[in-house]
Parts: sequence; structure tokens; C-alpha cells
Amino acid sequence: MEPADEALCERVARRDEAAFDLLVSRYQERAYRLAWSILRNAEDARDVSQEAFIRLYEMAGSFRGRSKFSTWFYRILVNQCLDHKRKHKWWKLWVRDDDEDRAETLLDRQPAPVNDPVDKLSREETLKALGSAVDRLAPRQRAAVLLRVQEDMATYDIARVLKCSEATVRVHLHRALATLKKTVEKR
Amino acid sequence: MARHPDNDLVPYLRGELPPAERERVARHLEECPDCKQDTELLRDLLGNLAHAIGQPPAVNWARYRAELSEKLEARRRQIVWWRRPMPVALSASLAGVLLLVAVWGGREMSKSGDPIGPDEVLMGQELGLLQDLRTVERLDLLEDLEVIRNLDGLASERQG
Repeated sequence: MEPADEALCERVARRDEAAFDLLVSRYQERAYRLAWSILRNAEDARDVSQEAFIRLYEMAGSFRGRSKFSTWFYRILVNQCLDHKRKHKWWKLWVRDDDEDRAETLLDRQPAPVNDPVDKLSREETLKALGSAVDRLAPRQRAAVLLRVQEDMATYDIARVLKCSEATVRVHLHRALATLKKTVEKR
Repeated sequence: MARHPDNDLVPYLRGELPPAERERVARHLEECPDCKQDTELLRDLLGNLAHAIGQPPAVNWARYRAELSEKLEARRRQIVWWRRPMPVALSASLAGVLLLVAVWGGREMSKSGDPIGPDEVLMGQELGLLQDLRTVERLDLLEDLEVIRNLDGLASERQG
């Protein structure tokens, strides 16, 4: 029977390399995917998720088992992502990637097709607009939405990851989804 | 009608609300067409979001793990270097420097003038002399025996 994440983490605290390798195997795809969803850059997602695993290795001794291991690890990962965004915020003021904004503007400027496109095309456009809108959410709202949608996390666990109350998570989700809803209603 | 449970709709859709809260929201949705429509829109939106967010570019996981190992090893070396025992030659050099500073520092202090030794301080405290600066300043007069012998005479000349 495979050992539980919490048991593996205890072994990592005792510098069990095999336990660390097993934990990395279990979480590497999820960590990379979540980091990419927040940061929207593959290289940054790789670096930040790797840094989260290094922090896991260094801090394994501080995991007390009061929450699930996944919640504890996602908190490390999300904090790394949010810190990364904060550090690079000033840089992005000068080197902002406007491609997404430009694309949406171009799309908006396209004349309406004579024949109404099939539902699939319309849905693709909607999804693209939604994806862009998610990218523009405030970092903590985006993190809350991603943890809910991608990781299927409960409000309680999202609150533990973001180190806030459940009520605050509900507010983050409500505001984020209200913004996203407007994107859909505009189409 | 009670206030609209905007913040509760997402947990309601997930079935996360405790029974009493769930009941409250369900009753509200029966009475409020706007909130009911909002809930349906949210359900669709949440369903679409998973597709909208998309999947990240593929990763070579072998390379990912190799990079992770390298970074972890570099971090271990970073932490450990300052814990290593110092080479003997370096320790000896540092000890020599510290000794030099102590000796040089002591000499510099002694050049600054005769320090008041502890005996003088004790004597001053006993005699209460330290409270009278003018007296203290003229203590050296006690060394002049002529003055001492003629103290009475000096005092009367002054008065006269």
C-alpha cells in the first residue's frame, strides 16, 4: 500500500530522499499546472514550482499535520507564485505583454459574420475571452478561482492555502466570478 | 426578502454549505428569480472555466527532475558552507588580528591621560570631596607642606 502524503512528509523531515522523490512525482504535474495557470509563463512556472519543492524539503519538519499535506504544500506554492508576481510587477509595467489585450480588441473589431457560426466556434471565442479575463483578475482572486476550478478544492482548504477566512474566500470567488460573468454577457 | 446570498452561491453549488445555510439559500432561490438565474449562470461559468484556463505547455519531466536535483544540491551547499570547520591557518590569523586589536586598543586608551584609579574614587566618596569640585581641583595643594604649616596664618591674612 502506498504511503500517505503526510507520512512521506515526516520522512522527508528526516531527510529520506526516496520519500522526497515520491512526493515530487505525485505533485509535480499539479504544481506545474497551477503555477502556470497563475503565472501564464512556462519557464516561470517551472522555476517557481521547483522552488516550492525545495521549500517543501527545507520546511518538512514544520508540517504538523493540522491540515492535509496538499493544503500545506499548495500554500507554499501559491505564496511562491504571488511573491514572484510581486517581484516582477514593476518589470511588467515596462514590458507588459499586451498580446492578449490586443487580440481581444481585434476580435471585437471583426465584423459580425454574415452566417452565424456554429455553436462550437462561438463557444471557442467565449472560452478564449474567459481565459483572458481570468488572466486579468487580481492575483488572490485568480488563485481562489484556480484552486476551485482546477484543483477542485473546497472553500475551507482554499482559505487555508490563502491564509484567510472562508468568508474572504467566498468574497474573492464572488467578485472574480462576477467579473468573469460580465465577460460572457458582453458576447 | 432576505439579503441576496451572493457570496454563498459557489459553495452552495458545490454542496459545501451546512444544512441550515443550504436550506436558507435554497429558499431564497425559490423566491428570487435574479439569484436563481445568477446561480445557473455561475454553474455554466464554472463548467466553462476549466476549459477556458487551458493546459500548460508540455514539460520534459526527466529534465525537470534533474534541474530540481541540481537546485536542491546548490541550496544545500549554500547552507552548509558557513558551518564548515574553519581552516587552522585562518583561525590562527583571526586570533592574531583580535589580539593585535586588543593590545593596540589598550595602548590608545592609556595615552589619553592618567585615568582615575579606583583608590582615588573610593577616597573621594569617603571624604565627600567629590561633591565640592573646587576643593577637588586644589587637592594638589596638600602636597605643598609650606602651605599646610601656614594654613592658619593664611586664613587670618585673608580675613584681615
